[in-house]
Amino acid sequence: MPKSASDKRHFLIIAALIVISTVVLYFLLDKMLPLPAQGSDEALVIDGLIKSHLVVIAFLFSLVGVFMIYALVVFRKREGDESEGEHFEGNTVLEIVWTVVPLIFVVFFAFYGINALAQVTHSEPNEFEVKAEGQQWSWDFVYPNGVVSPELVLPVNKRIHVTLHSKDVLHDFWIPEMRVKQDLVPGQDTQIRFTPILTGDFKVRCAELCGRNHYSMETPVHIMQQADYEKWMSDQEAAQLSGGSSTITDTANITGTANISGTTGVSGTTSVTNTINVTDTSK
Amino acid sequence: MSLMKLGLVRGLIGQAVGTLIGLVLVTLLRAAFGANPAWLPEPAWVAGAIIGGIGFMYGVGSLDDWIKWMRGIPTPLRHGPPPSQPAWTRYFGVDYNHKIIGIQYGVTGLLMLIVGGSFALIFRTELVRPGLQFLDSNTYNTIMSLHGWTALMSVLLAVGGMSNYLVPLMVGAEDMAFPRLNAFAYWVNVPAIILLLTSLFFGWDGGWTVYPPLSVIGSMGFQFVFYGIFFLGLSSILGSINIIVTMLRMRPPGMSLFRMPIFCWAVLATSFLQMTATQFIGMSFLMLSWQRLLGMGFFDPAKGGTPILFQHTFWFYSHPAVYIFVLPGLGIISEILPVFARKPLFGYRWVALSSVAIAMVGFIVWGHHMFVSGYAEYLRVPFMISTLLVAVPTGVKFFSWLGTLWGGRLTFPTPMLFVLGAISVFLLGGLSGPILGTVASDMPLTDTYFVLGHFHATLFGGYVFPFIAAIYYWYPKITGRMYNETMGKVHFWIMTPAFWMMSLGQMTIGVMGMRRRIADYDPTLHVEFGHLIITIAGFAIAFGILLMIYNLLHSLDVGKVAGNNPWRSRSPEWQIPSPVPEHSYAMPISVVGEPYDYGLANSTYIQMGGGHAVAHAGDD
Repeated sequence: MPKSASDKRHFLIIAALIVISTVVLYFLLDKMLPLPAQGSDEALVIDGLIKSHLVVIAFLFSLVGVFMIYALVVFRKREGDESEGEHFEGNTVLEIVWTVVPLIFVVFFAFYGINALAQVTHSEPNEFEVKAEGQQWSWDFVYPNGVVSPELVLPVNKRIHVTLHSKDVLHDFWIPEMRVKQDLVPGQDTQIRFTPILTGDFKVRCAELCGRNHYSMETPVHIMQQADYEKWMSDQEAAQLSGGSSTITDTANITGTANISGTTGVSGTTSVTNTINVTDTSK
Repeated sequence: MSLMKLGLVRGLIGQAVGTLIGLVLVTLLRAAFGANPAWLPEPAWVAGAIIGGIGFMYGVGSLDDWIKWMRGIPTPLRHGPPPSQPAWTRYFGVDYNHKIIGIQYGVTGLLMLIVGGSFALIFRTELVRPGLQFLDSNTYNTIMSLHGWTALMSVLLAVGGMSNYLVPLMVGAEDMAFPRLNAFAYWVNVPAIILLLTSLFFGWDGGWTVYPPLSVIGSMGFQFVFYGIFFLGLSSILGSINIIVTMLRMRPPGMSLFRMPIFCWAVLATSFLQMTATQFIGMSFLMLSWQRLLGMGFFDPAKGGTPILFQHTFWFYSHPAVYIFVLPGLGIISEILPVFARKPLFGYRWVALSSVAIAMVGFIVWGHHMFVSGYAEYLRVPFMISTLLVAVPTGVKFFSWLGTLWGGRLTFPTPMLFVLGAISVFLLGGLSGPILGTVASDMPLTDTYFVLGHFHATLFGGYVFPFIAAIYYWYPKITGRMYNETMGKVHFWIMTPAFWMMSLGQMTIGVMGMRRRIADYDPTLHVEFGHLIITIAGFAIAFGILLMIYNLLHSLDVGKVAGNNPWRSRSPEWQIPSPVPEHSYAMPISVVGEPYDYGLANSTYIQMGGGHAVAHAGDD
């Protein structure tokens, strides 16, 4: 092993170790951070951004970690060696390099980040509109035709625009598989957009502390094919709008839909209680 | 000896009496004006909290000298323990010696760390299995919220402890510039702690961020938090003014700013943050209190207010506060590394100025806590860019630490191990930052356990590990004895892997969809195993801390005598006897060289007595 601090062999060994460590670490990080299923276009964009962050994290972690561990081993004080360390107080060129190089990373991620943000939040003509109303500790979803549902039912492959409205305190609309998240703020409506690309059953989970039962403020989300969605909607219209059935607006926790399985649409009404153990509707 | 001779006891009685006066006063006033009912708990308790705080400060004796000044009675500074009382009583009453006050701060900080950690262990145990086991959700929310503020209080106290004990010693000053103000700034923390812990009995469920409207409609415990934190903030502001004046006015001849020990730079940057940002949290908490009490509509949309305004004022303090928490710790790392590398600190000026740069950038990044809060969408972009910029000065610190290690003669006693542990943990915290700084990738991660993992790594790397390193490192200077090295190393090898497990575990389950601040979780997320690991790691960390406390107490009696300078440091405080005498420096010192010239033959940093006239000593 070379001993002098300025020996070039140190840096060759370290460069090789950093390369190996970066690859291994990226692989580990990717395994260690298992993102939920990619349920929307936004998930694709966001996961891409996350992965490129992970590459840089793996590299920087290796850079600092390898240098540090290498130095701890190579420059440890040997038995009987009473000398002091090599005397150098700094290096202005190095300081400038490690100020400028991170700046380049900053510019890159700022640029990438702005683009990703624009992609994730863009609006389109003819979006599918729905209104989400949050209150301690339940959700209501109001469709443009007046149908109200305690569960969110959406067609796949449509740009969804949810207008978020809070009736009491702050809440947050989050479907992990869609990735995006937005607070509900009393006194002002907020917006969230996403384009689901997977059909299936998910959950809206309130992600902003909202009091006693914050933990259980979850409700099922069903993403389905357009035809299934239309069938569900016409059933709802028949039940809610023609007969003047007022059960939904009057009771808090709520006669609504459940037991949706694949393409069969709705069967019956089930009471959804405000606990985390909502009936699991997955197939 | 009568207990009444202890300032602390008199202070507590003062607080009890003051609280009672507040309760009675409001009730009588309401009765006099014919309000019905005369007994309304919330305004009565708020008056009790405020008057109780003042009662404590009066009872403990922190106002005595100032009252005498007003009456024209001379008040000479007393040195040494109170007459005819054992020496230990100094720590339980008002004492003006910065070394005593530093220990008071530090020990209180450690106690609060234990209290805050214990809250965490309670709800961590609850979280091992899905379903509510032994906590109901209200209790869970209260304990979780209290964990946040007690832990942060611990940070501020420990930062106060390190800077009070070390800064005057490092700049060769006799004491702080304003000793009475210094004692006041410490003691006002005690009623703050009592108010904060009292909130436990009334309940509050807002998390440490206490966002309205929840904090306005929630139970009365919130009021105790507001005034507890208000007193805490008062301590921060007064303490930081004292530190700044001490550092700028009381340095010895020859010690230019760039020849101060590097820890002083970190504390200088921190103090400017504390002095200028703390007012915002005081103000925003008062606004919450008065909205509850008087119906003022600051954050109430029905009265023209907005809940988001609170988030701005809150984070305008609380983001710079993150740097208040970590900058002193990073200063400790930079201070201790050269001693055990036997090498100069690499790029002293860059390290010093990077602290100032972090402090300055720290003021313009608060909006990254609010990316999904519902503020105007275009604001996300400038806050994203300013946030990423923090990486640059932080990077300078990491690379300088590597440069300091490179080519050294490294030894690894316990303080050095904790410094290296701090670097590794802070690296984890730092590198998990940018992913939260770009808005799109923040969306799935904010308000999840990923954020939890990120900021616990930041605070452990920037505060807990360096604080522990500092305790072990200066223990011989404070007590005159060495701690037990084997036990110290066992502590390190338990706590560091455990912390890594905890933090990585939090990040993993956060990515999987585990939300923050929930009393119970959906079993279909499959995060149960992760919670088990985190909980086990949490208990291991607690065990490590207890081991340290046993070590510190045990070594007081049996530790080997340390001598003046067991670490062969060049810093001024190591050139005088251990423990430091009542008057630290027998004669004024002067600075004749650079602080970190390890390995440079025939170089000295300070001279005792010096040949120079002492320019500053008489000024204050």
